[in-house]
Amino acid sequence: MNVERAENAIELKEVEGLSQGKIVTRRFVRHKAAMASIVLLIGIIGLAFSSVGLDIGTEDVKIQTTGWWKYGYSATSDVENGGDPTLDILPEFIDGTGVQIGNHPFGQDEIGRDGFARVMRGAQQSIMVMFVIGGVATMIGVVVGAVAGFYRKWVDAILMRLTDLIITIPVVVVGAVIGRSVGNLGSFLLAVFLGLFAWTGLARLVRGEFLSLREREFVDAARVAGASNGRIIFKHILPNAIGVVIVNTTLLMSAAILLETGLSFIGFGVRLPDVSLGYLINENQTAFSTRPWLFWYPGMFIVLIALCVNFIGDGLRDAFDPRQKRIITKKEKRNGETIELAK
Amino acid sequence: MGRPLNSQNSSQPVLEVNGLQVDFWVDGTWYPAAIDMNYSVMPGKALAIVGESGSGKSSSSMALLGLLPSNSRVSGSVKLNGKEILGLNERELRKVRGKEVAYIFQEPMTALNPVYSIGFQISETLRTHYDMSPKDAKIRAIELLEMVEMPNPPASFDKYPHQLSGGQRQRAMIAQSIACDPILLVADEPTTALDVTVQAEILDLMRNLRSRLNSAILLITHDMGVVADLADDILVMKNGKTVEQGSVSQVFNAPREKYTQELLAAVPKLGAAKARAVPTSVGVAAPILKLENVSIEYPKRGRIPAFRAVEGMSLEIYPGEILGLVGESGSGKTTVGRAAVGLLPIASGLLEIAGRDLSHPKDRDLKAIRHHTGIVFQDPASSLNPRLPIGQSIGEPMLLAKVAKGRDLDHRVEELLDSVELPRSYRNRYPHELSGGQRQRVGIARALALRPDLLIADEPTSALDVSVQARFLDLLQDLQEQLKFACLFISHDLAVVDILAHRIAVMQNGRLVEVGDRDQILKNPQDPYTKRLISAVPIPDPELQRIRREARLAGK
Amino acid sequence: MLTFLVRRLGASIVVLFAATYLMYLLTAYSGDPLEDLRTSTARNKEALIERRIEILDLNIPPYLRYFVWLAGVLKVFIGQFDLGKNVNGQDVTALLGDAIGTTMQLVTVSTLLAILLGIIVGISTALRQYSSFDYTVTFMSFLFFSLPVFWVAVLLKQYMAIGLNDFLQDPKVSTPVLIGLTLISGAIWAGIIGGDRKRKLQIFAIAAAATGSILVILNLTNWFVQPGIGPITGLIMGVSFAFIVTALSTGLNNRRALKASLVVVALGMLIWWPFNLLSSFVSAPIYLLLAVITAVVGYLIGHFMGGEDKSPVARTSAITAVLMASIIAIDRFMQAWRPYTESNYISGRPFATVGSQTPNLKGSFWVMGVDQFTHLLLPTLALLLIGFAGYTRYARASLLEVFNQDYIRTARAKGLSERTVVMRHAFRNAMIPLTTLVAFDFAGVIGGAVITERVFAWSGMGSLFVEALQHVDVNPVMGFFLITGSVAIIFNLIADVVYTLLDPRIRVS
Repeated sequence: MNVERAENAIELKEVEGLSQGKIVTRRFVRHKAAMASIVLLIGIIGLAFSSVGLDIGTEDVKIQTTGWWKYGYSATSDVENGGDPTLDILPEFIDGTGVQIGNHPFGQDEIGRDGFARVMRGAQQSIMVMFVIGGVATMIGVVVGAVAGFYRKWVDAILMRLTDLIITIPVVVVGAVIGRSVGNLGSFLLAVFLGLFAWTGLARLVRGEFLSLREREFVDAARVAGASNGRIIFKHILPNAIGVVIVNTTLLMSAAILLETGLSFIGFGVRLPDVSLGYLINENQTAFSTRPWLFWYPGMFIVLIALCVNFIGDGLRDAFDPRQKRIITKKEKRNGETIELAK
Repeated sequence: MGRPLNSQNSSQPVLEVNGLQVDFWVDGTWYPAAIDMNYSVMPGKALAIVGESGSGKSSSSMALLGLLPSNSRVSGSVKLNGKEILGLNERELRKVRGKEVAYIFQEPMTALNPVYSIGFQISETLRTHYDMSPKDAKIRAIELLEMVEMPNPPASFDKYPHQLSGGQRQRAMIAQSIACDPILLVADEPTTALDVTVQAEILDLMRNLRSRLNSAILLITHDMGVVADLADDILVMKNGKTVEQGSVSQVFNAPREKYTQELLAAVPKLGAAKARAVPTSVGVAAPILKLENVSIEYPKRGRIPAFRAVEGMSLEIYPGEILGLVGESGSGKTTVGRAAVGLLPIASGLLEIAGRDLSHPKDRDLKAIRHHTGIVFQDPASSLNPRLPIGQSIGEPMLLAKVAKGRDLDHRVEELLDSVELPRSYRNRYPHELSGGQRQRVGIARALALRPDLLIADEPTSALDVSVQARFLDLLQDLQEQLKFACLFISHDLAVVDILAHRIAVMQNGRLVEVGDRDQILKNPQDPYTKRLISAVPIPDPELQRIRREARLAGK
Repeated sequence: MLTFLVRRLGASIVVLFAATYLMYLLTAYSGDPLEDLRTSTARNKEALIERRIEILDLNIPPYLRYFVWLAGVLKVFIGQFDLGKNVNGQDVTALLGDAIGTTMQLVTVSTLLAILLGIIVGISTALRQYSSFDYTVTFMSFLFFSLPVFWVAVLLKQYMAIGLNDFLQDPKVSTPVLIGLTLISGAIWAGIIGGDRKRKLQIFAIAAAATGSILVILNLTNWFVQPGIGPITGLIMGVSFAFIVTALSTGLNNRRALKASLVVVALGMLIWWPFNLLSSFVSAPIYLLLAVITAVVGYLIGHFMGGEDKSPVARTSAITAVLMASIIAIDRFMQAWRPYTESNYISGRPFATVGSQTPNLKGSFWVMGVDQFTHLLLPTLALLLIGFAGYTRYARASLLEVFNQDYIRTARAKGLSERTVVMRHAFRNAMIPLTTLVAFDFAGVIGGAVITERVFAWSGMGSLFVEALQHVDVNPVMGFFLITGSVAIIFNLIADVVYTLLDPRIRVS
């Protein structure tokens, strides 16, 4: 149909000489919500990791830096003004006081710990867990899916039974159990273990992609040319499946942060003396009527991070698989001039 | 309910199109798909709208009943029996659709809803336009299925599309379309997806229906043979513009425009190729490919049982000759092609390539034959890895065989690009930047990278336009004469095989039915299946085709 | 198909065993079951430890102890079901029995509602692609998808429960809220029904006016204190449903379907008053029986009035019957609202934030039903918000993909009305991939329920699990997992069956 020819014509003009990767990047950059989300997410990550300083590792292996924020996340101090937040973003002409950050922009809890510091520390944990789970689950999921989809037969059958097995157990349930056992070994290890159970959705999708890509003629061509199985998997099929992988990794990451905060909420995630956003919410749910800010800020950060990751995922999906989404107004329909196509 | 014939006034055109303009809106610009079309169709006559891909033939026909997507715009005048139907509101339009004008689409597998039985879908058409009870609709539907010569109509009523063969599905589609005795049938490439013998039957059916129902037919196709067989008038399109129109005998015998002349010249005509001597190696030298009583089986997958695709096949291909392997779908020809490059193991028999026994290939056997065989695939959209620049795709065989690397490899790739008449700069382009024809050339370049003795060409032109196909076949012939490789040319299109091949082998249902010199097979076929196959191929010459058709029907 | 089911069942059972084994090991090794006793200061500490070891067979290592547990499970075949004891020596089976009811209610209701709403909204947005309605809904589902369930639950607890309870002290909708609701309602209806600008404005105006007047009337009649539907409104609603259902199911042209539905509505009106008289005799099993009878009677009425093409008519009247019966039932429940709210146990604050039922409350089936409702409302809402977002996205994507298929174009070319194209051709095909989704999603719902139960302090299976896990108490955890795992598997099987029923390519080879 001529639509495709017209669409091809524009497409080709834009993508001359560009590889698939560059084309995808270009399309992604045009997705406003996704770009805004990336900026926001980087901002949050930057803020979280720089403000309060890092403190990871066990006794022997430690990485510690100090942040630029004056309070630590567990240090207590005097409660000022009932712990009211001092963040004021409304300028002077609206509420009388100017824009200021103040000593305790996110307020304080009853024993005087600084809200901002705790939220930042919690955000650090949650973000780190999100990336670790995403990384571990993606690696396992891609390997399992690729092997199952490529080799099929009994390998596929075994791997699919294994996947079914893991799917039967709700992630929260197994997460809680894992949290109970290794939670106190630090959030990094917790994240790694959680990742070991989060890969099933991705594995299924990758398997599907491999099953269909495997039948494409260029795979046969590569085989005839003498490509080994490994080369076919890594150089031919996997690069073509990467779109699905990336999109679903982002979805996985947003689910991961919700999982971790949920587990921390019921007490099986990140635990004392460390802080997680979920833990903060749990701690403060009864204080809702008296100190609502202790509840709002951690929650908002979770939502913001998850939302950004979701939008990025949507942008990626559009970048890899664009659909013409244009609406024509009635007027344009009537009046637009038709161009002359080349002979 | 009686079924009266359309009481058509034979002097008034059924369809009158004036100044039809179809545009598509993409990214802020309106692109023209069809420009200022003017034609008319009289009752009982067939007008063929012909063009290559992108000519706008499909779009202009979809536009008649408003079946285009929302980013389109249609202007002009379309009169059905004198009544203007362009610009009708939805409700009025729905009364015309399916009742006075019916469509037959190209791919019956996707054009029929997979979750409802064909009987239901036919009844649905009936009950939408007539106030019928389900029982009456069923009776009528079974009548229609009989009319389209569907085997066992009452049982077929309850069958689902996936349970039927391609030809049967198209018959069901036709039954659905003629259900309300339309005065105009629009058939969009109705036989393109079908085997040649089935195509002949469907064309016969359409001709019969046309005379019985006196409906007009608007046939959209790229196949000149089909046009010669069915149409009375023809309209040639290119890039949305009408190039030439007139009666079929007029345009075929004396085309006025250059494009029409080129188009007709590019169409392969069965039996018109020059005489050709079979290479001297045939029967004399050691065969480059030898199959002795070979059976090939697709292994059991899950619950689908093992399937014997090829049975007891014995064939030899000699150095320097082109053997055309012809058959319809399910004949096993593609399977033979794949086995010949080592992609499929054989279940029994003897397979020898370049003297090497490949009946049970081990890795080193496969490595060895890489230098002797190459394969060109059918689908230009999936035969090249979309992530690799085509230079890498072409170079891969050489790289893996350790024949060249680095700058040396680049040189070789450039030479290969030269040989297939593509610019050297294309080395760094990606498949999506090339047209179908160009991609197939890349396919040849890749297949010839290691200078094979045997080239397998698996339906390489099936997805190409006629003019592109002609250039491709010329290229292939030149290369073969130059490099003197043997070629197993697999195709369902006898006319194409006629141009290229020295010898022809015919397969049916996994078995080799006949093999012999090209002229021998085409002019004097022995096997009844071969005879049927040849007589079913429509040739793009109306007079000749009529004679052939009548001969075929008489012989049936 | 039967063999297929049996094989799937067999495979699922094997998977269930393997999963339970895995869970057992993970749980048992997650900590020390004697931890709390080791650190206790009780004097008979040693004796207590000994006793616990004895009850729970803690001397046997977990990878073998599993089989002891398994033996207990398999005893179900001989009539006894033994899931072991928890750390306090209580029978797990008994504990589970109490907890199952509430959790299952929560999970099933929220899943079913999420699916229903998700499909409706997903389809509407797919049909109105690129409209502002579509963008708004898409953005909101993104938002809901990103919300942590516990945060939502706490917010609901705070604002809805406490807020609603406060509202009921002075149950008049305040003017700003009234205006807000009218505008939102108008916008939603305009979005769903769609059309060009003029039509949308008309619908907006009508919907806003209707909503506004309804709210004003509710205010004036003090409806929030004594809610009810009443025969007049019930009649209006019933007739409207009859029209809507007919329009969607067969198209309003089908006079028989419309007539059958209206007959059903009339029948409902006749039964209204007698039903209310006899309502005190209704108990839970009778209620279910009545529901079934309603559907059957509705179907039969349609069948008899159906003329030559019975089944679409019967289907339409059955759906209308169920809706009409729901109106009557809801009205009856509403009548129990006032006595409920004013009872001593509730004292005017009916929306509960703690527990799954009011302790010590006794009353008729209707009052208990209201009690269940007030307790179920918020947790269900929490789970619903998040599940619904997922289903909306998937339903929309699935329908859009179906719209690109050739057979939709064929259906239009045949002259079918747009409604038929969407409902009969598109919808049916779009549902197929959704069934597989439902099966997988269920495990997630259970996870969400565990967290939500915590927030609302229900003593359901979720808290049973959490408590037990705290104490490394394996048996209750396994009991929990056995039940939820089995239900998940059953859902999977149902989804498989539905998938097979829907797709003839699988059913008929």
